[in-house]
Amino acid sequence: MGTAVDRFDDKARGLFDRIGTNDVYQGELLRHRPYTRFLHWMVALFFFLALFSGFGIYLPWLFRWFTPIFGGGALARSMHPWFGVGFCFFFGLQVLNWLEPMLWSKADTEWIRGLKNHVLKPEKLEPTETGFFNAGQKVQFWEITIGSVVFLITGIILWIGAGTFGRITVAVSYVLHDISALVMLFGIFIHMYLSTFGQPGTFHSMTRGSVAESWAWTFHPSWYKQVTGRDPRQAHEEARRQMETGRR
Amino acid sequence: MSDRRTLQIKQISAHPGPIPGEGVQRDLEVCKLVDTTTCIGCKACEVACVEWNDMPFTPTTFDNTYQTMPETAWSFWNLIKFNEHQREDGTIQWLMRKDQCMHCADPGCLRACPADGAIVQYSNGIVDFNQENCIGCEFCVSGCPFNIPKFNPTTKKVYKCTLCSDRVGQGLEPACIKACPTGCLKFGSKDDMKFIAEERAQQLREHFGYANAGVYDPASIGGTHVIYVLHDATRPELYGGLPKDPQIPWSYTVWKWLAKPVLGTLALFGLLGVCLHYVTVGPRKSQPEPPPRKER
Amino acid sequence: MTNGWIDIKNTDMMLIMGGNPAENHPCGFKWPIEAKLNRNAKMIVVDPRLTRTAAIADLYLQIRAGADIAFLGGLINYAIQNNRIAHDYLVNFTNAAFLIKEGFKLPEDGLYSGFDSEKKTYDKATWNYEEGGDLTGKAVAAMAAAGAAAHKAHTSDTGGGQGHQAASRMGAKGSAGTPPPPMLPPKVAYDLSLHHPRCVFQLLKQQYSRYTPEMVERITGIPQDQFLKAADMFTSIRKDGDMKQVATIIYAVGWTQHSFGTQIIRTAAMLQLLLGNVGRAGGGVNALRGHSNIQGATDMAGIFEILPGYLKMPTPADTDFAAYLKRITPTASKPTQWDSFNYWSNTPKFAVSFLKAMYGPAATKQNDWAFHYLPKIDRNYSWVNIWNDMYEGKVKGLFAFGMNGVMIGPDSQKNIDALKKADWLVVCEIYPDETSEFWKAPGISPDEMKKIATTVYRLPGAGFAEKDGTFVNSARWLQWKNVALPPPGQAKVDQEILATIFLKVRGLYQKEGGKFPDPILNLSWAYTDRKNPSLSEVAKEINGKALADITDPKTNQTYKAGQQLPGFAALKDDGTTMSGNWLYCGSWTEAGAMIQRRGTEDPSGLGVYPNWAWSWPMNRRVMYNRASCDLDGKPWDDSRPQVWWDEAKQSWVGNDVPDFKPDSNPKDHMGPFIMNPEGVGRLFVPLGAMADGPFPEYYEPIESPIANPLHPNQNNNPVVKKYKTDMDKYGSVDQGYNVICTTYRLTEHYHYWTKNNPMNVQLVPEPFVEIPVELADKLTVRGGDKIKVTSARSTYIAKAMVTRRIRPMKIDGKDTFQIGIPIHWGFRGIAEDEDKTAKTLANQLTPTVIDPNAFTPEFKGFLVKVEKA
Repeated sequence: MGTAVDRFDDKARGLFDRIGTNDVYQGELLRHRPYTRFLHWMVALFFFLALFSGFGIYLPWLFRWFTPIFGGGALARSMHPWFGVGFCFFFGLQVLNWLEPMLWSKADTEWIRGLKNHVLKPEKLEPTETGFFNAGQKVQFWEITIGSVVFLITGIILWIGAGTFGRITVAVSYVLHDISALVMLFGIFIHMYLSTFGQPGTFHSMTRGSVAESWAWTFHPSWYKQVTGRDPRQAHEEARRQMETGRR
Repeated sequence: MSDRRTLQIKQISAHPGPIPGEGVQRDLEVCKLVDTTTCIGCKACEVACVEWNDMPFTPTTFDNTYQTMPETAWSFWNLIKFNEHQREDGTIQWLMRKDQCMHCADPGCLRACPADGAIVQYSNGIVDFNQENCIGCEFCVSGCPFNIPKFNPTTKKVYKCTLCSDRVGQGLEPACIKACPTGCLKFGSKDDMKFIAEERAQQLREHFGYANAGVYDPASIGGTHVIYVLHDATRPELYGGLPKDPQIPWSYTVWKWLAKPVLGTLALFGLLGVCLHYVTVGPRKSQPEPPPRKER
Repeated sequence: MTNGWIDIKNTDMMLIMGGNPAENHPCGFKWPIEAKLNRNAKMIVVDPRLTRTAAIADLYLQIRAGADIAFLGGLINYAIQNNRIAHDYLVNFTNAAFLIKEGFKLPEDGLYSGFDSEKKTYDKATWNYEEGGDLTGKAVAAMAAAGAAAHKAHTSDTGGGQGHQAASRMGAKGSAGTPPPPMLPPKVAYDLSLHHPRCVFQLLKQQYSRYTPEMVERITGIPQDQFLKAADMFTSIRKDGDMKQVATIIYAVGWTQHSFGTQIIRTAAMLQLLLGNVGRAGGGVNALRGHSNIQGATDMAGIFEILPGYLKMPTPADTDFAAYLKRITPTASKPTQWDSFNYWSNTPKFAVSFLKAMYGPAATKQNDWAFHYLPKIDRNYSWVNIWNDMYEGKVKGLFAFGMNGVMIGPDSQKNIDALKKADWLVVCEIYPDETSEFWKAPGISPDEMKKIATTVYRLPGAGFAEKDGTFVNSARWLQWKNVALPPPGQAKVDQEILATIFLKVRGLYQKEGGKFPDPILNLSWAYTDRKNPSLSEVAKEINGKALADITDPKTNQTYKAGQQLPGFAALKDDGTTMSGNWLYCGSWTEAGAMIQRRGTEDPSGLGVYPNWAWSWPMNRRVMYNRASCDLDGKPWDDSRPQVWWDEAKQSWVGNDVPDFKPDSNPKDHMGPFIMNPEGVGRLFVPLGAMADGPFPEYYEPIESPIANPLHPNQNNNPVVKKYKTDMDKYGSVDQGYNVICTTYRLTEHYHYWTKNNPMNVQLVPEPFVEIPVELADKLTVRGGDKIKVTSARSTYIAKAMVTRRIRPMKIDGKDTFQIGIPIHWGFRGIAEDEDKTAKTLANQLTPTVIDPNAFTPEFKGFLVKVEKA
């Protein structure tokens, strides 16, 4: 099965490579190929559609603000599940696409142990073991994966209703659905922050697809080594020295 | 007509802020009394309900019973449930109970409803759906302990018995009451109906040998505006699954009105957190950072 | 009904048998419930199924369909054995004290005296009262004589024995050679102590002493303890002879539709007389009529043997009007010391007024009031015989108005085959029905269809809401209804259709003459719109008016010619009055249409509502209400005073209209049952009023699972005749027909036409057969599976409703199942047209056999076998 998934991914990636372009300039590395970026933005689109349409159903006093966006409560309610299906579909493809880089490693465990420091007193450079994704990203990825499954199951229960599943199942699903949404909502702030203001230089990996080499050796040293063959620390040292030299 | 006062809104689903006109007048609570011990299951109430509410015909199939359909439908709000019950002595009791919205004092549907104004409770006790505002989320379906609200897949809205609020608002009795030929259905103030029901239950206990006869007006949901006289009030579940102790799922009370805003706020703390992080810890930049430009 | 729907609220005890009022009369069923709510009245329901009525009963007993006489006979026995009888009522208001002729024999072997086994009829000469005087206290001597006399019974000359009135002129002329028919003696011998062995009470006691609880259990399948519980409960109203409480008996076609149906009702009437319940508020014997106007149809001669107002139909033996009147006008027959109103002695007034209404000026004294215009019935023209005659090719055409003859049955297949042999059929309906489409019945191939030569004419009728007129309900109220909306399209009201046909036929007679055109040419047709007579005009005609200025000698009141008459007391036999139905006289008077009144006043609180509509006779709401008082004219129960004797006014007065001679002082001892020549209620029915016995005897239905435990050699009603065409088959247990089947209606449907109405179809969408769980287990059938019910005639297929509301029974020790089939579905209707049903008819199963008195088919309690389909 793994091979089938691989073949599917390869085909999809190839297809999107033919359609999309990567703008990689001097001193940059290709980080996300068009297929990945496409999936990311589709997931983002459906996430926000589902989120905003869901807001109206979730909190009565947000109702009047959010349901008009979708043409009223009834339309918001009837479209919300379809947004959810879109979200789960594209995120599902993303899961297949990212399965490999998202696998958990010992280093990740180590990274999580130092989470407090990573957040409050971050080192300037990531530990050298940090690969394509760091453990924080992986946690979010797997949270969204699990969250999507919860969405999907509880969402279908809510969609089809108490007539089939019984009112207690529905009542419980309702709570789980909301909890899942809240966790994801919490995560999305961090995700957006870190991909923009919190970590400048990240955002265009999802637009043009490229990141600066310096970004790569700083935040994902192991991946840098993997794609360039160079030692990230050494590369950093060289750049630092060059910069100092240049300044002189 | 002075009776129009009976439609004073008391509660509105998912409505923030005060209720228009609240407390400006005092109303009697209305109540429908269903005496199952004199109900003959003639279905006149079913027909009257369909006709008054101008509902389309619902196709049915034979289901080994006299009951019209297994449960109420979006187009069939009033259903007599027929149950054969074998007593301990082997004799058979054929129980008939008119099933419809109970118009709870504490309506589970209204609690569950997220749509502002889709469900209202009038101060006379009637719980009414306002389809104009309904978003068809069906939370009310699971909120209801009596399995009453039903979803119409075509209009994508939920419907149920209105206790003929349109008639009651004009000083008339509900259509089912009007149609009942035996008088097993009565309509009036809650106090009066309760009194009549208790009297009848006492009569059943004293003169007709039903030692457990009693009135069904469950306290767990604050009482209902439809009450039953039962031959055996200790076993309401015999009457087509009338819950002995109806409950509104905790999720609709605790979750909706307490945890949801609290947890929602917590989620928004993510936003606050990252802002604070930006200000206090600051962004993390690719290394090496170019040195800050010195002012000349 | 002797009483009325509302009056049921006054009862203390209800016995509901042979009827399912909650199902079929839900609106009227309010009143039994009122009695329960307000009087703590008890309700006993005895039925083959636990019905909607039984669901709210205080005691329900499951009886074998058709075993009712055994149950009621058992109740009579119980009441007598436990002395729970109304003694004074019995002695003075019934014929309990009357002596029966010597030679009368009770049916220990299943036969009364006088049976002619060849003709299957009784010579009823011994079924008569003994002529004589007061024999009270002289019983001992008579007893000695009784033994010797018994033997003579069969051989004694039945023609001219002691106690017969002189032979009638009609009898002598009409049938030369045969002895004159016996008459009631004018002076009846009686024993007020009720000890004489030949007094009615002793015979009654003897007759029903055989109906022991053991026997009741064997026949009915009701366990003794349950029977005794019911008997105790029902008769408890006469505990210690107390007369205050009242019980009612309520029935419907579950009693009439048997080969002994009339006798079941008689048994109930006897029980009520025994307990003193007739004539009293909350009492009586109450027939629930199955259609909105079936009472009206009966009153207006819906049956072949009567004219409007229950005047008897002339026969060929009635050679002239005088002979006819002589035959049908009874003379009083009573103890000398008593008085009898004998109201039917006014028959000539009713008959002449009727003929004047029919033929107007053409009816004159000279031509016997056009008596010979009336048809004379030479044989039985009842429902089943019409179809049998058609099947035998004797009836060539049929008008079917507002009835679905194919569905009604019995033996619907026979009716379908009969129609194939007719020349023409006219159906006036609001839907395409099975009768008008009999030629499309399932099983008829296209080739066969082509061979059917019957010409079918379909007339577009109007629905009940599209016409005005009256309904006469079970309580005998004539109630006027208005048109709700006009008939759609080409549909026409009945009177327009009938008038058009009549005028056309009359035109043909005028033009072409014919064998006997006079009755047609001279028929009174004086309506403003002759082609569409207004029903209010017809109603006024039925009430009747004065044809000349007449004066009532009693009140000295004068009615001018053309004025509406105030009541039947004003009718004359000299041609100066006319009335289409004497019973309805008083319904539309000079004061206006009584039948349109809507007064809701009920001053007595007894539910009399004297100003609501109008009830016959003369707006009396409870018949025989003089019997609600004791011998002195004081109400038995002063909390429910209906009528009473007012000594000051020297008149009967009350909350209801006294059903009695108003100035008859109680001292005169006039009997309260003024329509009987005896003036008293009949426990024993003398002479020819009943074909099958003066007392009811239990006989098995024509198809029954056991031999009659009372007399195995006389299983069925001896005077019932089976039909002899090739279609008439009767099944037995030996042939495998071992399940008892009964038929009935549902609340959700109205006979055979609501299957065309989506609302009703929604409530009960498909035909079904109710079967006990135990039978279903045996057949490995589950609820909703199709089953096949087969009788000796045909097959019915429908889904099974597996229920615990019908239990297996032990009939004479034999395990027996009963099943039930609602009658509503055929081969035209919403479900039928969508191919959702097997298109079989419930009445394909039922046998062609009729009650000898009322000629009602035996739709209940026949034998079938049940299989998985």
